[in-house]
Amino acid sequence: MTAGGLRVLAGGRAGEAAAPGSPAPAGLVAELYEKYAAAVYGRCRYLLKDDAEARDALQDVFVKVLRSLQGFRAAASPSTWILRIATHHCLNLLRARKALWREQLKLMRKDGQQRVESPDRRELVRVVLAAAPEEAQEVAVLYFVDELTQAEIAQELGRSLPTVRKRLREFLACAREALGVDLVDGGAGVPPATGAGRRPEHPEGSDL
Amino acid sequence: MNLDLGGPGEGCSAMRVRRLLAGELSGVEKERVEAHVAGCARCAAVQDEIAAEREALRRDVPFPVFAAGVAEKLAEKPRRSWAGRWAPLAAAASVAIIAGAGLMMRPQAGESPEGREHSKGGVSARLFVQDATGVHRLDADEPLALGARLLLEVSPAGHKQMAALLLETGETSIVYSGPAVDGTLPQAFDWTGKGVATLLVVLSDTPIDAAKIRSAKEAPRGTDVLQVRLHR
Repeated sequence: MTAGGLRVLAGGRAGEAAAPGSPAPAGLVAELYEKYAAAVYGRCRYLLKDDAEARDALQDVFVKVLRSLQGFRAAASPSTWILRIATHHCLNLLRARKALWREQLKLMRKDGQQRVESPDRRELVRVVLAAAPEEAQEVAVLYFVDELTQAEIAQELGRSLPTVRKRLREFLACAREALGVDLVDGGAGVPPATGAGRRPEHPEGSDL
Repeated sequence: MNLDLGGPGEGCSAMRVRRLLAGELSGVEKERVEAHVAGCARCAAVQDEIAAEREALRRDVPFPVFAAGVAEKLAEKPRRSWAGRWAPLAAAASVAIIAGAGLMMRPQAGESPEGREHSKGGVSARLFVQDATGVHRLDADEPLALGARLLLEVSPAGHKQMAALLLETGETSIVYSGPAVDGTLPQAFDWTGKGVATLLVVLSDTPIDAAKIRSAKEAPRGTDVLQVRLHR
């Protein structure tokens, strides 16, 4: 709405956003559901390990998205932007139940000492997140789960490349400490790729 | 035991596959990723995973359930407004705008003594600004940058109705008119004018005809009026 020297921006901080108490356009909600809800639900299920909580978190995430549409539209990669919101939301929920999260870590460590085969690598990452500093948690998810390169993470977070490397090193140190095992690269850096089609990320990945 | 935590591979990235399927890639980048994915077993596995996520979503949270849940949560008031998150920054000066030089509360001429004493508790309002530097409370006599977003937070102190108007020379714009809002207004606004303007907040126990108010003096009797001076 424009009148005289005044321009009203729905949604306040977000500009064109769904204001508290106002419905979001049905077409927009449908589009968001079609394009992004599956990835967000997958992220919530992966991190929370509870379908009921994940369903609730899914809706919470999209409420945040609808209230921050300007950020969504300005994002170079809407998928990355939305998944970051989902990751952040779930990590906050997990921090609130830290005791249970850390218990899972202890169980995995105990189990790992008797196990012959390696457990699912993403499950490892999820559990190790409990032992990592908050600043390293999001970087670890972006690197090990979303598989962004360190340069992409630096750009996405608005941080320097050395800072991203430092956070990944912190995460890996926590992983070694928490699991009591060696990582594939012998502790020198990000584990090299293994399996079908896997090759190391790129040169800056090797100097962690 | 040695463990592999994964990470991106050369040319392989789960997010890149997601972006491709979401239609976020274009031009050379799209062609390059499409060519890579077509011959990559690892990226094919990611595509399978994404397909499984879609199945899980449609099974567990079909669209009508999703839309209804989001609408219900959207109708709830946020636990903490953006202004509330920034309010602690101004904790030392958390008195309402009535205390600020240039941001003053102005009782109306002829108003009842009870009205000036604010027996329902003090009405107050604060203005928050979002500009290139972030979000902060508007300081007294602080010039406003062009394009800065403004959000008004009001404590109506029991009043049932309110109106917020932007007064400029020869022109008045209604920012809000309706039931009193205890907290931040649902809409931000952007003052696009030049020079000086006044944001007038009128609080009343009865409906306010905001269109009839052109200045603070024209506010109905018995109302509480707050004024905030804006300038470039």
